[in-house]
Amino acid sequence: MSRIAAICSLIACLTLSSCGREQQWPARPITLICPWSAGGGTDRVSRQMAVQLEAELGVPVNVVNATGGGGVTGHTRGATAVPDGYTLTMATVELNMLHWRGLCPITPRSFRPLTKLNEDSAAIFVLNSSPWSSVGDVESAVQNADQPLKASGTAAGGIWHLALAGWFSSRNLPTENVTWISINGSAPSLQELMAGGVDVVCCSIPEAQSLLDAGEIRCLGVMSDERCPAAPDVPTFKEQGVDWSMGGWRGLMYPKGVPEDRVGVMQSALAKITRSDEFKEFMTNAGFNVSVIQGEEFGEFLDTADEDFGRILNQPGMKQQQKAPVGRYFVPGILGALGVLIGLVGFVLSRRAGSPLVEGESVATRSETESPTDARLVVGFIVAILLFLIACQTVGYVIAGSALLLAMLLMLKTRVSWAALIVVVAVPGLYQLFAGVLGVPLPWGWLGW
Amino acid sequence: MSEPFVQALHDVFGRPDVWLIVFLSACYGIFVGSIPGLTATMAVALFVPMAYWLDPVAAVAAIVTMVACAIFAGDLPTVFLRIPGTPASAAYADEAYRLTKKGQAQRLLGIALTCSVFGGLLGTVVLMLLGSQLARVAQWFSVTEYFWLYLIGLSCAVLVSSGNARWKAMLSLVLGLLLATVGLSAVHVQPRFTFGWPSLYQGISFIPAMIGLFGLSEVFANLSAQENQTDQIQNGETTSFGRLISEAFSGLATRLKQRPVGSTQAGLLGVLIGMLPGAGADIAAWVAFAAAKKNVAEESDEESIRAIGDATTANSAALAGGWIPALVFGIPGDSVTAIVIGVLMMKNVTPGPAIFEDQAALVYSIYLVFLLANLIMLPIGFLAIRLGGFIVSIPKRYLLPVIVLFCVTGSYALNGSLFDVGTMLVMGIAGWGLSRHKFPLGPVVLGLVLGGPLEERFIQSLTASGGNPVGLVNRPVAAILAVVAVIITTGIVRTMVRELKPDPSV
Repeated sequence: MSRIAAICSLIACLTLSSCGREQQWPARPITLICPWSAGGGTDRVSRQMAVQLEAELGVPVNVVNATGGGGVTGHTRGATAVPDGYTLTMATVELNMLHWRGLCPITPRSFRPLTKLNEDSAAIFVLNSSPWSSVGDVESAVQNADQPLKASGTAAGGIWHLALAGWFSSRNLPTENVTWISINGSAPSLQELMAGGVDVVCCSIPEAQSLLDAGEIRCLGVMSDERCPAAPDVPTFKEQGVDWSMGGWRGLMYPKGVPEDRVGVMQSALAKITRSDEFKEFMTNAGFNVSVIQGEEFGEFLDTADEDFGRILNQPGMKQQQKAPVGRYFVPGILGALGVLIGLVGFVLSRRAGSPLVEGESVATRSETESPTDARLVVGFIVAILLFLIACQTVGYVIAGSALLLAMLLMLKTRVSWAALIVVVAVPGLYQLFAGVLGVPLPWGWLGW
Repeated sequence: MSEPFVQALHDVFGRPDVWLIVFLSACYGIFVGSIPGLTATMAVALFVPMAYWLDPVAAVAAIVTMVACAIFAGDLPTVFLRIPGTPASAAYADEAYRLTKKGQAQRLLGIALTCSVFGGLLGTVVLMLLGSQLARVAQWFSVTEYFWLYLIGLSCAVLVSSGNARWKAMLSLVLGLLLATVGLSAVHVQPRFTFGWPSLYQGISFIPAMIGLFGLSEVFANLSAQENQTDQIQNGETTSFGRLISEAFSGLATRLKQRPVGSTQAGLLGVLIGMLPGAGADIAAWVAFAAAKKNVAEESDEESIRAIGDATTANSAALAGGWIPALVFGIPGDSVTAIVIGVLMMKNVTPGPAIFEDQAALVYSIYLVFLLANLIMLPIGFLAIRLGGFIVSIPKRYLLPVIVLFCVTGSYALNGSLFDVGTMLVMGIAGWGLSRHKFPLGPVVLGLVLGGPLEERFIQSLTASGGNPVGLVNRPVAAILAVVAVIITTGIVRTMVRELKPDPSV
């Protein structure tokens, strides 16, 4: 009797704690996917947008850093999210490039573009002690190099690599005279420039601002039509007689298929934010170059950019540049061989020793303090977690989590009333902790929480 | 006393709002750090939007305090539950939990806390006195030097393991390194071992892997039907609060008296490693832990506590180290300082050499904030240890399921992806199997963390030298590091060969 009462009250509690269904949109927290890691430029812009969207729309906006795979993970998740308007993606220029490199099927056409926020042009940096003082000096150095010039700024095939390679091939310079060292990110590339490991770094001006201000490095030119407001002393490529411009962009997008009225609400909120002084002040202070285009115009911009990138990425010189000195299975191969070797040594050792002294001893102490594990319980727990994994997205965290916890407690022969009490306290508590306090969006599911 | 210094004193100590912010950040840092799956970096990233409304001194004070507290708080679940709260605690998870089982948890944490504070203060002093000179050291480190540094870091994982189980540690390490090759290879920009599965492009995220390897596997090992009716994770100690504090301080005092060189060395090591962009608190803890353990003949509890103390000193000292390149060149020493640079730039303050002249008061404030953060960590840390002590007195059959739910939620939280929960589960099963056969788990985590960067630096060095292996040693610092790495490796191989030869005395 008490069991039934306990379970009934548990269900009642869980149902009551869910709020009313949505009457007006948006009615629950919005997720903003950032494909790059916490602390980087894209993350900073995402978090700023989240704060302002939150104020504008009146619901929490949580940033999720879906990092990895050079942007593949985040963009794929953004494009394949449920198109209910509750998932936004901070897309970056890599969206124009990943599909050309055959890394994922996602293209700008997989998204519904909302607003482009900014565009940062590529620029060329050298050490202060470098003999080069203009873009032309670098060009003649490449032309007459006896050993290849070393350059970096991002991973091979990244936007800044493209900018540099595109510049050289547009000027018909021998691209084999430049070795691109694939370093992940502009900060470590600049560190490499300081350490003398590379001769030239190509990245955007805000990324190099502090070293530039410190006088440690110089900027030879920026690949844009107009000078960068953050560094007005730096001449453009055009001013130096080189007709070449390239840059990266960031913009907010919806997955395809979001209802038009919701797109409208979001679009007008974004329009209001991008016109606000707060947004402009933030972007200027952080050194990001504001360049706002909305809706369809943004779509057209993406189509043109996509064609341009396709042309550059399919050049033979570019493909050749991406080759690394050792193949991709070289290191795993060595590791595998090493593993087999160590395994053999270990096998011989354990065969010879029978039961080594220390091991025997520790087994003894272990068995004193612990009784043997019950394999059935382990299997039970594993199955419970697997079921949680399968069900969580559909039924939501609270229901799936409660079921998981309840199942595990019962497997350990806890009294049902106690188990129910623990579930009622622990699951909503954890949900509040993660979703409420820490801003981690847990799946909502049926409760529409 | 110079005017900026007085201004800084006033800015930090004279403002009640700064005190309040520091206090709240300390609580927040302890809280986030002690939840497995939420790292110090995440704590700071979540805070950034709030930093917008604070002035630079208050914003920096909050960040410094929450990070210092989060790194210490990472030790709490490590010691009580064997789940490293942050990656910086993974090095000594096994060792610390062994002591917990002997009822030493509170004593160990007390010492870890005082050692963290000592490391933090030492790091601050180094930052104050030598910051701008030391920043030049980072300039010697190109990709090649990092390659050797990471290799030395990896060999530490093997050195840490005891006696004749060394081959097992090496095998664990290789397993971790192999797992790290899954996903999109950063230098080749080509997928490996992904089997066409888009989720695997990001590779195996090491935080869910760490939670699974240590946390879930420990839960599995504890599942036994007969026992859970009555059993509690052994607590044994009923230390009073006063005794906990006095023991923690006398522990630190003895350490400083008996081996002043060793403790200071661990701190300095931490600063140096933390200063190098790409290394950080987690590697600092590994290296210091290995250095403390390498000369130990037999294993005793006291030796373990000593080594863990060194490791906690080093990971806290590394935090201050990370600020050196950030302040001097604007190059972030780790992901936290990357965020700090962003926050400072948002406030129109650009880090770099000029900051020491233009914004001297702010620089002094940062130093003072470091001191304040480490001091406020003491009382809050002791309270947290005390509260954490209650966890272990909960009967296992209630505790274990809640731990599992925490593991699941924590690994989901990092990337908001259920795939990571799956990773956690698989790693939990693997970790359970490995521990049953006495394979150490720490090296797997270190392999996962360092595997990617190691391969990247290796291939970058080769690209730079046009495929010529001589490029790996033709810079002076690289050559020195290479010699160190070779000495350590031959040492390890020699002991293995000696073990292979039939030993007549056995």
